[in-house]
Amino acid sequence: MRIEDLQVAFSTEEGPVEALDGVELTIHQGTFHGLIGETGCGKSVTGQTIMGLLDNNARIKKGRIMYREQDLLKLSSRQMERQIRGNEIAMIFQDPGSSLNPLFTIKNQIEEAIKMYRPVPRERREGLILEALQQVKLPDARNLMHRYPHQLSGGMKQRVMIAMMLACNPRLLIADEPTTALDVSIQAQFIKVLKDLKDNLDLTILYITHDLAVISELCDYVSVMYAGRIVENLSMYDLFRDPCHPYTEKLVNSVLGVSTRLDQLEEIPGSVPRLINPPPGCRFHPRCSEVLPVCSQEVPLLKEVKGLHSVACHRR
Amino acid sequence: MGSTLLEVRNLKKHFPSTAGWVKAVDGIDLKIEKGKSFGLVGESGCGKSTLIRVMLKLLEPTAGQIFFDGQEITGYSFKEMRALRKEMGMVFQDPHLALNPRMTVFDIISRPLKIHGLARKKGDLTVQVVELLQSMGLQTEHMIRFPHELSGGQKQRIGVARALAVEPQLIFLDEPTSALDVSVQTKILKLLEKARQERDLTFFFISHDINLIRVVADIMGVMYLGKIVEIGPKELLLDDPHHPYTRGLFSAVPEPDPDHSITEIQLTGEVPSPVNPPPGCNFNPRCPHADDRCRVEEPEFRELADGRRVACHLY
Repeated sequence: MRIEDLQVAFSTEEGPVEALDGVELTIHQGTFHGLIGETGCGKSVTGQTIMGLLDNNARIKKGRIMYREQDLLKLSSRQMERQIRGNEIAMIFQDPGSSLNPLFTIKNQIEEAIKMYRPVPRERREGLILEALQQVKLPDARNLMHRYPHQLSGGMKQRVMIAMMLACNPRLLIADEPTTALDVSIQAQFIKVLKDLKDNLDLTILYITHDLAVISELCDYVSVMYAGRIVENLSMYDLFRDPCHPYTEKLVNSVLGVSTRLDQLEEIPGSVPRLINPPPGCRFHPRCSEVLPVCSQEVPLLKEVKGLHSVACHRR
Repeated sequence: MGSTLLEVRNLKKHFPSTAGWVKAVDGIDLKIEKGKSFGLVGESGCGKSTLIRVMLKLLEPTAGQIFFDGQEITGYSFKEMRALRKEMGMVFQDPHLALNPRMTVFDIISRPLKIHGLARKKGDLTVQVVELLQSMGLQTEHMIRFPHELSGGQKQRIGVARALAVEPQLIFLDEPTSALDVSVQTKILKLLEKARQERDLTFFFISHDINLIRVVADIMGVMYLGKIVEIGPKELLLDDPHHPYTRGLFSAVPEPDPDHSITEIQLTGEVPSPVNPPPGCNFNPRCPHADDRCRVEEPEFRELADGRRVACHLY
């Protein structure tokens, strides 16, 4: 998948909000791609745009989302529903509790998804359901599938969501903060499940999160977003060892756990800008310690530093 | 050794429910020394928030004793607690909810000063508020703002300023940074640490985020299902965790380091319900070392030679 110059605006009471302003990113087949950034940077909007799930007050102003030689933005909502969503690209959300219907059993819900997205004979469905539940390491799948969502814990529900998606056999999975609502020990189990899937299936994931520690466990490549733009695309290793953009650098050094000493942790002055009235030029310049005169005037474009590593900064 | 500021003995808080008694806090022994920063980690539902609410006497304990600065406060009435409230501040998790949206920053910070009669003179109140704002890296002009005009980080700094206003000895901090973005977290933590040094404060952090506690605490405690399973100086616990739950929990923490990865899952299964906790050691169903003794006999919370305390039959 290749996203080119994507611009999305929301109309609000206070005026238009330029949530995405020229997002450029490429997701390679078979890789886990992390999309990181702080609250309101547009990472979730990016996921929703790919899925065609934007709210009514959103408008796609420009750009293309190229997926296997076709532009997803040109498809009708019916085509998106029939051809793309579920069977080609699936999504899991932050709160697994509200993604499942409390009135139906796990089996019902996965079966429903298979019916919609995967034309297989009725008698094969149960096998697929079991297989999917086993792939996500849910114990005692045969009994578990007859339970209702409220009988499962948060971690199990999130695994059911993954199983549901696996049963439909998509190529790309978009995961929006799937572990934020989970405890660390449950999160660790969930990460393990995803890692095993990565090893055994040819799955591509766009993993949206603010948690850099989870990124370091799972992802191959990372895109860093700030205030509606991608500021850097790089490998996970470079994210921690050789970040180029001042924001990326500061962000990585401010993560608790990089150092256990408070005086070694970096702080970024100011706060994330509101997108109603974003700073001109580079949107990070008011908080940047290496600012140049040009930074407040011109928007920096993504430039290649080396293969698969590009950065949007006038300094580099 | 400093003197003990806060101590609880065998503290319990049980809540009635249709399924039986929920043992949210089930026998906690704890001593916090003056001037230290204590950090309690535990997963959701382990009882850590209930524990601080009981220690603040916002909830009545079911059993046990609470001592503050050498005085037993367990039986204190609401009225008697009032004077003590000045000594114990609290900073809440979500700064967006903790500040009254209809009050200005000035009103928010000056209110505790007025309640406790600490405003020196009328004009002085403004001076006191300005000093507090400045100590939190905010400006005088913020005084006339309303919470909705501030960013999350600024709101949390107001929350801290409010807690500091009455010059308490002890501040409870319930996940003070979890609602904030990483880029502003560090600022709050540094301001807190500075305030602690300058005012000789004692901190009591609770969090599910081990990486946070690792940074802010001197002494670290680990809570599981209503009980503290291990407690001791931070370095001891981090370098060589003893209790199998502590070990499992620490091993599950993802580290922001490309050369580190979670290798094996030590903690399997899920936390059992606090309504009917397992007999014996309540961790035994998930413990890789559990034997027959663990299933019947509850381990004692024992002090080891290195100064830590741990509740496990292995030690």
